Amino acid sequence: MKRKIQVVICRVCSQGVPVLDVDKLAKTAAEAPYVGSVVTVDYACQSKTISSIVEDAKTKEADRVLVVPCSKKDVSPSLFQAYVRRGKINEFLIETVDLTNEVILPHREDPTRAQEKAEARLAAAIARLAALEPLEKHEEPMRTKNLVVIGAGVAGLEAAQVAAGHGLHTILIEKTDRTLKAPGVLLSKSRLLRAKGHGGNFELVIEAGEKEETLECAVIVVASGGDWSQGKGSLTRSCKEAMPLFRLKDSIDSGTLPSGPVVIVDTPDPKGSTMKAQDFAWDDALDLAMIAKRASPETDVTLIFQEMRASGLSELTYKEAAQLGIRFIRYDNKSPPTIDEKDSKRLIVKDLAQDEVVSLRFSTLSYASIPANPDNIGIADALRIPISLDGGIRRGSMQRGPVTTPRPGVFVCGSAMFPKPEAVARAEGKAAGILATQFVASGTVEYGGAVAEVTPEKCSACLTCVRTCPYEAPFIGAAGKAEVRTQLCQGCGMCAGICPSKAIDIHNYTDEQLSIETEAYLRGGF
Amino acid sequence: MSERRPKIVGFCCEKHGMDCVTLAARSERQYDSSVRLIQVPCTGRVDGIHILEALENGADSVFVLGCLEKNCYYDTGSIEGRKRVEYVKGMLAETGIEPERVEMFNASSSMAWKFHDIVSSMKDVAERLGPIRPGGGDSE
Ligand code: SF4
Ligand code: SF4
Repeated sequence: MKRKIQVVICRVCSQGVPVLDVDKLAKTAAEAPYVGSVVTVDYACQSKTISSIVEDAKTKEADRVLVVPCSKKDVSPSLFQAYVRRGKINEFLIETVDLTNEVILPHREDPTRAQEKAEARLAAAIARLAALEPLEKHEEPMRTKNLVVIGAGVAGLEAAQVAAGHGLHTILIEKTDRTLKAPGVLLSKSRLLRAKGHGGNFELVIEAGEKEETLECAVIVVASGGDWSQGKGSLTRSCKEAMPLFRLKDSIDSGTLPSGPVVIVDTPDPKGSTMKAQDFAWDDALDLAMIAKRASPETDVTLIFQEMRASGLSELTYKEAAQLGIRFIRYDNKSPPTIDEKDSKRLIVKDLAQDEVVSLRFSTLSYASIPANPDNIGIADALRIPISLDGGIRRGSMQRGPVTTPRPGVFVCGSAMFPKPEAVARAEGKAAGILATQFVASGTVEYGGAVAEVTPEKCSACLTCVRTCPYEAPFIGAAGKAEVRTQLCQGCGMCAGICPSKAIDIHNYTDEQLSIETEAYLRGGF
Repeated sequence: MSERRPKIVGFCCEKHGMDCVTLAARSERQYDSSVRLIQVPCTGRVDGIHILEALENGADSVFVLGCLEKNCYYDTGSIEGRKRVEYVKGMLAETGIEPERVEMFNASSSMAWKFHDIVSSMKDVAERLGPIRPGGGDSE
């Protein structure tokens, strides 16, 4: 393999408020192995500049490029396009180094060390780039432009309408036989049984009325709905007036909350182990506790929980709630809160923090709980998407978007995740409809590139990768060795990190490539 | 001669991990420049070998920074990452090297303060323990 690197340093970006000596940086880069040319430019994103640096790459016969721009995310896509189209450089051999955010901004008060670090960073990136291999992406046409929406409630209908408006063929799967005005096809009294394939080309088996039908689709929106639990559990059985959070909210809003202490428990079934409140319920519980406390500061408000799951910004809410004087009591399900046998307006609970049994008088007892649509279990199982402890469809990382599941091509909206007001469900349905449209817009599924690959001779068929991969990409093939369904692989590398036989590796993040980079980086000055 | 500077290596996921780094950079606050970041697609990619290699190549302390466990871009990636870190810690302890040289952290892309805290705590460890001495920290 030829290895000739062009390094492009953007002066404007790299100099910052003159922290770095760009000429010195360029000199260091030029002396590094495999570097064929170093160009320093002003405004690497200007079209004139782009033409000239791509030209330089061509004449110097560079096969890989390192761009040092302002910030990885700010580089103009036309720069990459020009390299790939005109410069014939493999897209996996173009790398960027974000000196601004990694070095200049956080170390600008110490330019000497910043320079040293920038040079080391560049050397490491060059070493890594030299070790990379060119990769190909593949395309598979989508066989249909069908969108299947599971559930014709508020969110599902909205998703279907939006997508249909953009030209998708929508198929709604609805378990009831309600008459509905819906775009496309409405399958009543039907439910999802099984699913095969991947985003872009799914094959579903649907039970519609009496018969089973096979259905092809490109994208799926889960809008199976769900409801607030009316709360079945030890607590609600022994106290009939205990109310779910949303009812507590109603009575606060309407001013009908009886005066006297308010106690909120994290679940209607404190003895059980599976019905702990979900994170959002904690946010709600905290919010409501604060509203109740603010409305009447002299009222005792107590939150009783097994595990406080207030994360991110809700941690601040937690703190604020504590400052307001809301009392927190932690218990575990071995000694759950129970209603006092002699006084039905008293709750007895062992406070783990204080290691003492407390008896709390209450006027209002409320609980957080959201067991969702029981159908979710079957849907999640068929589509291979995760489900929360409470039975809601669990969305993927927020970075992927609030209505996405971890599985590409499967979106989720509305109360299928957890109960929501109608307006929110509708907004989410709209979002899911738009994302589904966007997903099928190109008409092709792109896959491959920096994905996992198995070296069959090394594989001991231990199944570790099969069990670890969140996307079910690896499987044991006919030869009795692991193989990767490239269309499903997202390139996270978890399989590579865990394979005990070192048989599976991920392109351009191989063990060898990572150690070359680490070694080069640590060789530089500190 | 200037005093010896600590060497810190961070394996950082390209998702929330690097977002957290970028946000820290934009927060105007400075952090110690002894930290060297290696980007991985997901902290689940990190293998014990990578951490050990960094230590072998002279790092005094190594951290792994991934998404929050409930909000990992690759769903279970940062949970896997933590397992690897725990495994390496166990291994280090057995060979007589201080396990606190290696640490796992989680952050979301909105936690600007987090990265400064990570760097300063790993720097403390690096300065307190100094370079790794063969045969273990306590024996000399
Ligand atoms: S983890 Fe490695 S050895 Fe085990 S099945 Fe997968 S590729 Fe094969
Ligand atoms: S790289 Fe990630 S998505 Fe791909 S097979 Fe491995 S674990 Fe699965």
